[in-house]
Amino acid sequence: MPDDTVDIHKLAAEIEAEVRARRAAGEYPPGFERELDQLFDRFAPPEVSNDFDAALERAEDLVIVDPVIPVASNSPVLGIVKRVMSKLIGWYHVWVAQQISGLATAINTALRLLGGRVDDLEHNLADVSRTRAIGARIAALRDDTAWENQVTDALRGCSGRVALIECGEGALLAALTSAGVDAYGVEPRAVVADVALGRGLEVRIDDGAAHLHAVGAGALGGLVLRGLVERAPLGDLLLLIDAAALKLGPGGRLVVCSMRREAWGHGPTAAEADLVPGHPLHPDTWKAVLPEQGFVDVQIHVAGTDAYVVTATRADA
Amino acid sequence: MTAVHQFVPTLAPRDAVGRHYLAIQETLRAAGYTSDIYSYEAKDEYKRLARPYASFAGSGHREATWLLYHSSVGSPVADFVAERDEPLIVDYHNITPAPFFARWEPALAGNLMKGRRQLATLELRAQLGIADSAFNAQELTELGYERTSVVPILLDIAELDATPPDPKTLDRLTDAKARGGVDWLFVGRLAPNKAQHDIVKAFAAYREIYDDPDARLHLVGASSSHQYESALTAFVDALDLGGTVDITGGVSAADLSAYFETADVYVVASDHEGFCVPLLEAMHHRVPIVAYAAAAVPETLGDAGLLLDSKDAYTIATAVQRVVTDPRLQDQLIEAGAVRLREFDIAKSRRKLLDALEPVVGPAS
Repeated sequence: MPDDTVDIHKLAAEIEAEVRARRAAGEYPPGFERELDQLFDRFAPPEVSNDFDAALERAEDLVIVDPVIPVASNSPVLGIVKRVMSKLIGWYHVWVAQQISGLATAINTALRLLGGRVDDLEHNLADVSRTRAIGARIAALRDDTAWENQVTDALRGCSGRVALIECGEGALLAALTSAGVDAYGVEPRAVVADVALGRGLEVRIDDGAAHLHAVGAGALGGLVLRGLVERAPLGDLLLLIDAAALKLGPGGRLVVCSMRREAWGHGPTAAEADLVPGHPLHPDTWKAVLPEQGFVDVQIHVAGTDAYVVTATRADA
Repeated sequence: MTAVHQFVPTLAPRDAVGRHYLAIQETLRAAGYTSDIYSYEAKDEYKRLARPYASFAGSGHREATWLLYHSSVGSPVADFVAERDEPLIVDYHNITPAPFFARWEPALAGNLMKGRRQLATLELRAQLGIADSAFNAQELTELGYERTSVVPILLDIAELDATPPDPKTLDRLTDAKARGGVDWLFVGRLAPNKAQHDIVKAFAAYREIYDDPDARLHLVGASSSHQYESALTAFVDALDLGGTVDITGGVSAADLSAYFETADVYVVASDHEGFCVPLLEAMHHRVPIVAYAAAAVPETLGDAGLLLDSKDAYTIATAVQRVVTDPRLQDQLIEAGAVRLREFDIAKSRRKLLDALEPVVGPAS
């Protein structure tokens, strides 16, 4: 590379560092970007994935097929043609529209009934989506010093970017970057993420699983799972492991930081234990599950009296 | 004589994939294969170039016949080729994941889901999966396709010079430029996965932090979602950017050329692209590129643009500012673009296509 050539990879990193520094200095208030996000969301239709009632209401809004044939046109001639066609086929169009509306209404009614039955079930068995939402709002306060050394040792010398899922206020992330690991954090709670951003750390405000889904296959050199692993239901955890196997490159390092089951539900985790759908896994469970997804060298490390760290390596392809 | 007939959902002019089908036909015929195009629909001047897919009755025993199905959306053509006895090859141009459209266009999301199901079904019959990019090839592999080859989209860059910029549009854009301010450009259908709303956010941040009230953003491309287009327009109006953000809709090749001619920077914030042809057009028009590194964008772009791991508004705004204020960087990116473009030279891509096909379908005669 000639001397006067700009290293664009370095430049991209510099730009991102500059933005982080300006954020930390208060020049770029995080609120501005969030206001933009919220403003756009005002004009966007509701998300369909999470809110059953909103999705059903949207379906009900669309259930009646408009029997009026549009005849407006920029061309006067075409307008006349459309009006003539509307007169000729209007009766048939109304008949078809009524059939479709009737079918759609029947399906929606059945869905309402089904939704009511699911509601009853959830009230009896605890409302999973509601507890998930409450759990997601609770900041996972953990003493990162318990596992800081093990995590840093496991990732030192790691080639490629390291994602720390649920980085919280950034204590562990700061320790990793200080140790020379090219790490960034992902934190779904904006208020908590702002604390980490304010420390000049690179943090994406996003749901951990959604972020992993968006990352390219084999793009990560390392992945740290924190917080989420104690709170997510088993099905979500298995999907998370699938995603980790896909997104880590060959030789990539996976690190799981978790409390022990025995310590879960006491002290700062008491409320979480009551409200979130998941709980910490036994360390041996990780040892059983990770090799099935192509991880090798799975090791369990003790982290103080209440926590443990699992390290594993993504096998070469 | 061996026949390789193409089956496509839609054959339309002014569409990179449409031109790709025709270039494949030309390549196959030049190599001695019999090759026709069968489509669900053909539009405008391309109507005479394709036959209705259901009219295909096979070639009998006169010649070995292969079907080459192009997958980019759910289509009855996929069901048709799945039922045929002739050996099959799938050319995958990527199907946008349905969740991107679920809240905006539920019917389209359903069609995309159908397309992915069809793609998975065709794996049982396909002897080869061709993909525009390694990113797309990876998706095929994940669906179980055992044999895949990467063949870039066959795009004749020289054709881009065949249409000079529309003089009226060029005058309008040049007049605006004379008043000062940076011209941002993005070309692509208005679609949630292309995230034009994130470009607007970055543009708003840029105007805010770099005090460039004359900056303009041109979002060129027809709409894939009326709802998304409406939300984007309302968003722009709410930010009071109606006078500076130009949502053009579909434009002619001459107009498109004018937009590229006057652009200072080409900005991509897409969350999902299977290849991203406009990147090549930007390279050809010597417009420096700033792009968010998602899906196939890093692969298509190579080192010919400033690739960002994050697409938050401040990061993109800062990157754009660096590019537009540093002539040395601009020159470097433009030259890298010219070099990168040569990798997608149509002669090379034609060769790659034949290299992928010949070992599977055998010689032309």
